[in-house]
Amino acid sequence: MVYIESWDEFVERSVQLFRADPHSTRYVTKYRHCDGKLVLKVTDNRECLKFKTDQAQDAKKMEKLNNIFFTLMSRGPDAIY
Amino acid sequence: MVLLQPDPFLSELTSLYEKNLESGSVWVTMKRSCLKTKNKREQMEKEGQKIEYKCLVRATDGKKIISTLIAAKDQLKFQASYATVLRAHMDALKKRERKDRKKATEPAKKPDAPKKRVPVKKPGSTKV
Repeated sequence: MVYIESWDEFVERSVQLFRADPHSTRYVTKYRHCDGKLVLKVTDNRECLKFKTDQAQDAKKMEKLNNIFFTLMSRGPDAIY
Repeated sequence: MVLLQPDPFLSELTSLYEKNLESGSVWVTMKRSCLKTKNKREQMEKEGQKIEYKCLVRATDGKKIISTLIAAKDQLKFQASYATVLRAHMDALKKRERKDRKKATEPAKKPDAPKKRVPVKKPGSTKV
């Protein structure tokens, strides 16, 4: 499992991954309240990118990423967010 | 696997988060889908039919699975409501500590100097 340290790198690579294969790429979020941990995963079943955090500030960044993916997935890989 | 409309999905998602406060995880998956098999999709593309894609959102706590489909027209509304649900529940994450610690140590030094020591008069003591 590839855990990426930099948030910006994670976002850039996940969007690239999605645009390359919009049919099989999925975005998964796992949240554990008891441990206070959040893990994000973007995979196309060949390559897997992950990001983990326990910081509240990353939750805000994740919200923006959620919006990006919502736009890309419902409007199409060429959508501009 | 329960397929719901966007609004009931959000209510169920809220209850999933609330049920898993003490232990357990909540997974939310987002994927682009047209709900047709690959063969059917290719056949439709050959015929020149326009395929409508939606965003499939699934949520589970390991036991219960719920899902919903979001079309482009519902996207903005769902996105906003979804963000509200997340913000309300993801509060176990740590707040930024480093900046607070720095701010706490700096003003702590200053109040030590101007502190006035009131001399306590004790009967029998020469030192004031």
